[in-house]
Amino acid sequence: MDELFAPPAYEWKRLSPAYLSLRRLTASITAPIVFTIPAVLVGVLTGRWWISALLWGVAAAIAIIRLILAERSWRSWGYLEREDDLYLTHGVLFRRLIAVPYGRMQLVEVESGPLERAFGLATVSLKTASPETNATVPGLTPEEAARLRDRLTELGEAHLSGL
Amino acid sequence: MSQSPAQEGSVHDITRTRSAPAVKQTERPHPLTPFVRGWIVFLAILFAVAREVVPDGNDQTGFSLSELSWVLPVAAFAVLFAGVAGFIGWYFTRFVIDEEELRVETGAIFKSSKKVPFERLQSVDIIQPLAARLFGLAELRLEAGAGDSAIKVRYLRRAKAAALREYLLTRAHGEKARVGDLGHLSASVLTDLTAADRPLVEVSPQRLIGSFLLSIEWFLSAGLGIMIVVVSSTFDMFALALPGLLPVVISTVSLISKRLVGMFNFTLAESPRGLRITRGLTNLTSQSVPIDRIQGVKISQPLLWKPVHWYRVDVDIVGYAHSDNEDNQSSATSVLLPVADESQVELAVGRVLPGFDLDGIELQRVPPRARWIRWFDFWTLRYGWNDRAITTEQGWISHERNIVPHAKTQSVRIAQGPLQRPLKLADVHIDTPKGPVHAVAQQLDARVARELALTQLDRARAARAAARSRVPIPAAGSELDADNDILAMFRIGRDQLLGSGGESEVFALDEQRVLRLYRRPHSASDRTVDQLRGLFASWERVEVGLEVPKIIEVGQRNGRFFTVDRRFSGQCMSPWLPHANLDERRKALTSFLDATERLHRLPSPVPGFARLVGDQAPRRFGSLGELAHSMLEEPVETSRAQLEQDLPTVGQVWSRLHADLAQRVVAPALVHGDVCPPNTYITLQGERWEVTGIGDFSPHTVNGDPMMDVTGAVAFLELEPYPEAASDSAWLEALAVQRGGPEVSHWIDVYRRFYGFYFSDSAGFDPALYAWCLRQLRR
Repeated sequence: MDELFAPPAYEWKRLSPAYLSLRRLTASITAPIVFTIPAVLVGVLTGRWWISALLWGVAAAIAIIRLILAERSWRSWGYLEREDDLYLTHGVLFRRLIAVPYGRMQLVEVESGPLERAFGLATVSLKTASPETNATVPGLTPEEAARLRDRLTELGEAHLSGL
Repeated sequence: MSQSPAQEGSVHDITRTRSAPAVKQTERPHPLTPFVRGWIVFLAILFAVAREVVPDGNDQTGFSLSELSWVLPVAAFAVLFAGVAGFIGWYFTRFVIDEEELRVETGAIFKSSKKVPFERLQSVDIIQPLAARLFGLAELRLEAGAGDSAIKVRYLRRAKAAALREYLLTRAHGEKARVGDLGHLSASVLTDLTAADRPLVEVSPQRLIGSFLLSIEWFLSAGLGIMIVVVSSTFDMFALALPGLLPVVISTVSLISKRLVGMFNFTLAESPRGLRITRGLTNLTSQSVPIDRIQGVKISQPLLWKPVHWYRVDVDIVGYAHSDNEDNQSSATSVLLPVADESQVELAVGRVLPGFDLDGIELQRVPPRARWIRWFDFWTLRYGWNDRAITTEQGWISHERNIVPHAKTQSVRIAQGPLQRPLKLADVHIDTPKGPVHAVAQQLDARVARELALTQLDRARAARAAARSRVPIPAAGSELDADNDILAMFRIGRDQLLGSGGESEVFALDEQRVLRLYRRPHSASDRTVDQLRGLFASWERVEVGLEVPKIIEVGQRNGRFFTVDRRFSGQCMSPWLPHANLDERRKALTSFLDATERLHRLPSPVPGFARLVGDQAPRRFGSLGELAHSMLEEPVETSRAQLEQDLPTVGQVWSRLHADLAQRVVAPALVHGDVCPPNTYITLQGERWEVTGIGDFSPHTVNGDPMMDVTGAVAFLELEPYPEAASDSAWLEALAVQRGGPEVSHWIDVYRRFYGFYFSDSAGFDPALYAWCLRQLRR
């Protein structure tokens, strides 16, 4: 990790290892599922199964690339609560460092979809008045998500300032 | 007004319904509403009928009754149907204004009710579509909170719409008012500015049209159209090109309607509640720009405007949900100035970001290696900041400058793409709410980017903290200039001066309102005003048979505070006294004492002994003695040396006063602290002059001993400059003693000494008052 995206102090808090498993799972099944439907359709309708095989090949390639990248992507995530701001970083190709002052947070949400729940994970997202802020921390354990939410809400109230 | 206890209940009720806002006020849309809303339908029907009825030149047969026979019933049915639908819609629509909110209730079968709580109201715009304008009607559009769509109140008579807007804006500022209170402000059919608005920038039609013809959008659409025509006609396929031409024509027409028709007569004006924009050729829109909700400013200049030095100014306004739609024709716009020259831009930006120096920011360039990515405009990229705002620049086809005040920074992002990484470049985004402003410092050196982002967070934090403590903006120019500026804003002159006191000057605005201008640009004024405003608001519902002040509006300009207050009915008592005969005076003074006693029934916001207004307020005290000590501390500190010189026994008087106060047993009540004829208003009621109002509540106002005000009424009368003042004061004291019993005489004596100390710091500016103080202390 280069200096530009280094944490402002201490170390980044990382996501739960379960999130890596989740990413690996989605990486390995999404592309094959998406490509299977057209592949089967083409095969059944035209009988040219070699096109289907090609499509499956592409799907496998995408899945493998995503599997390889999954770990880097997972490692790229980090968040950190400091006295006045929440810092967040992610991205492999397009890298981001987001800093949100607690006083600017308008909404803190904890979400957990069925797949996330199966892996024991939750997502915390926070909103400011700006639609561009887009600060979302996925892959947290439910306890950590609840802690982060409560902490952010508390800090948000303490720092609250009007628009 | 009779005040016998038995009648008080009924008096209370009657006056409440008269002076408090009606609990529920229901308005209907104007009866012409369905017609105005459906005028297109009517026009279409009319057109269809006319087509059938009127013979055109080629038609040899002319019109015949047989053709008409089927057209007429259909047309009649259509008219009837539209009419009934319109009537039903109108009949079931109601605008209800109650204590907390405005509701728009519609629907005959499916009832729907939209509510806007007053405190969530962000802006109120008046829109006059052409059809409505012809009938003198107007629509109100209310913005409430981010994300919600605007709520429309249509249509009302123009004057009523203007009055309602003022009412809603007053309520949105947390004050109470009646719709009728503000009814004299009316919009006109042409400009839609109310009387209190002062135009800052007016965009002339020539300049608007000129700017349009030089705009890039016009060149693109016109150029594309011409190209299609030329190319297609050279190849002789004009007919084939028509479908391609159509969208170009449509987009050009819509561009003209947005940029020219919608922005026609664009006027940026200053109103007592911030900036106001009025614009439009056919549809007239009047929109308020709440300055504290402005989140950022964008100044842009298309390439062709450069030689003529024209600029366009857009702003981000939080809560304007659709503000991305920059040229929206009839609803709220984020355009602050569609075209303006440098001095006008400076003026407008000065209003929007007070104290911000546009040219004072030192701009930094980006490293030359940025050319590998931004080869088309790397030389235009700039960024910089000062203590108030951060600004970024980019582009040459259309040069853009984005300015975001530090306090409005929502979040800060560093972003680096795959192309930027090997070059060690990065972008820094300063996020603002939805709108045209996008402040992005692009292609910075990675190290610089990181430093800019992290320091920007510190600057934003400092700015937010400063905004919370509400540091007033330092005064610009001399005090007199600031005064005249405010007076000009209200379109009055110094000749309207009604009176002046130690803290403020009061000017007449009209029959119902006065302007109160606070003297020094000291930081305590806004606090004092806030406290008084809260106090008066809490008295709004209480009827004690006396007019008390009401603050309608609060403002600040160049560091000077002003309020618009309700004007008292009747006249000031002080100049009346010398002209009245003994009998008139005695009756008025009796009523003066009544009024003084009634004051104590006003509720206090805090229980117990307390100071209610001023730097130290609200501050509570355990006993009357502590309250008195706190009140006397400051003036006596100033006057101690002088007092010791003029009155060697002052130390004894001081300890005697404290000993006396320690004996006093009394329930705390509201005390005006300065009940005197200059603060009192009297009205002729039948045969007698009666006191109908007491004003000028100030930092003297406390929760203390009601006897303080009785003493004030008696003792301050001595200061009135008419021969019989002393004898009237003695008579009034006798009356007070007669009413309250012999001990009243003792307490008046004690509080005379109290006031003797309280105003003893007046030696420097009011020798007569100081002499009076010495007399009290020598008693």
